[in-house]
Amino acid sequence: MRTLTTFSIAMLVAGPLVAQTPNPSAADPQNPEKAPAETRIEELERRVRELESRLLEQTPSAIPPSTPSDERSTVSQTGPLSGYMDFHLNRPEREDPQLDFHRFVLLFNHSFSDRLRFVGELELEHGFVSGLEASGEVELEQAYLDFRLKPELNFRAGMLLAPVGIINERHEPPTFNGVERPFVDTFIIPTTWFDAGAGIYGTVGNGWQYRAYVMAPLDATKITADEGLHEASQKGFASNVRNVAGTGRLEYVGLPGLNIGASFWQGKTGFNFRRGESRVGVTEFDGRYHTGCFAVRGEFAQVFIDGAEDLNDLLQRTAGVNPNIASQMRGFYVEPSLRPLPRLKYDVAAFVRYENFDTQFRMPEGVLPLKQFDRTAWVFGASYFPDPDVVLKIDYTIVRNQSSLFGSADSLNIGLGWWF
Amino acid sequence: MMGNTFFRGASLLCAVLLVMVAPLSSSSQDRKVIRVTAERFTFTPSHIKVKRGTVVEFRLRSEDTNHGFRIVGSDANVIIPKRGRGEATLTFLAETPGRYTFECSKMCGAGHGFMRGLITVDE
Repeated sequence: MRTLTTFSIAMLVAGPLVAQTPNPSAADPQNPEKAPAETRIEELERRVRELESRLLEQTPSAIPPSTPSDERSTVSQTGPLSGYMDFHLNRPEREDPQLDFHRFVLLFNHSFSDRLRFVGELELEHGFVSGLEASGEVELEQAYLDFRLKPELNFRAGMLLAPVGIINERHEPPTFNGVERPFVDTFIIPTTWFDAGAGIYGTVGNGWQYRAYVMAPLDATKITADEGLHEASQKGFASNVRNVAGTGRLEYVGLPGLNIGASFWQGKTGFNFRRGESRVGVTEFDGRYHTGCFAVRGEFAQVFIDGAEDLNDLLQRTAGVNPNIASQMRGFYVEPSLRPLPRLKYDVAAFVRYENFDTQFRMPEGVLPLKQFDRTAWVFGASYFPDPDVVLKIDYTIVRNQSSLFGSADSLNIGLGWWF
Repeated sequence: MMGNTFFRGASLLCAVLLVMVAPLSSSSQDRKVIRVTAERFTFTPSHIKVKRGTVVEFRLRSEDTNHGFRIVGSDANVIIPKRGRGEATLTFLAETPGRYTFECSKMCGAGHGFMRGLITVDE
């Protein structure tokens, strides 16, 4: 059988030998007693064996083999579930330290066919849920069906992530520096920002890709002076869609290591008021780039609230206190980082992030902004990756505001996060 | 001994003579190595153009976690090792002109569904 195989392979590869047949007169100089024909046969055999091994390496196949360099150490043993976890120790200045199992997230993925798929993401925040306000949350952050038509045009419907900013769609712990998410991605862009909706997405060639959804709008009654849009999403809980919001993102990913994007959100928010209307618009730009051991990312986001004056009046009549909601909020950050041991199995990273975020950047006419909400943050930190999917983080966060009356606390944070 | 030598020589001679045409067909196939980097949640490059008959050898590397590389509509599906742990290779014979979608076949995060790309095989 082996002879037959060798013979067959020889048939496939021996053609070039015709042009390279050794000189018939060339006898083996090591063994002058050998007949020239025998030497020639041995030489041909050697070359056939060589070509056989080359052919086995190079033959293309319809069912390509998987050939990672070290299968055992490179592929995680994953079951039917995927997910990530985020476990934190936070020690704010002048306060007791807290251990918080911040996020426990499970992802589900099922293909009905190549064109029809389901993805779900279920999150438990802060480890415990009860009816009390101070407890955690169970959130269905994603649960959608994808209808895949062609690369340029696909449909998606269900519980969706708003395609705004860097973190909202890309928040697995090993993917960002720092124990906690950036402040801009908390107060200006309310990550994790999800709600019911439907839309289209796809790639349009040359590294450009887009998504465009209609989603349930934000709730104006949940916007605050301190935390901005952080709690303003309806989160798919019987979301009011008297008016839907529109959102979209355009990204360029055509060059290695580069990702730049722009996002928007626009929607009416005053569905809880019979009279009066407000509208929230978000404009966002971001970029990420890495080359070798160096990486940098940055984001800019601005929120526009039309009708903020009416909104404050209506909320004051309801609650008795003017919520002091701004007509504009703004935030940005820049974060350079280093991974001095690129491509090694065990990795470390160091970073510094500067953030500026102001939830009262512009106020309705006649209202002065409160200076304590104009804040900056410096975050210094490092990460150690014993595995690319496991990260131990430490950072020190310095937050300052523009007020001479209200102080702010620094904090030391340690986090353990993993993806599986 | 003499008969054995003759038989081996004859076999090889037959092999040489019978397959002179074989290399003609294989040499008409261009071979092209394309390096693809996978990173949550993109492939770079995400649009690959080759000519019909090209044997494409994909060399696949990840910048973060395990990803999959699957050519939709075929059995071609490999796991890309995590960052720093080597690369996977996959050979694709671009026989028929058309567009072939490839995608990440291993759940890699919240944006896993966006991780797709396109191979265009031109005439």
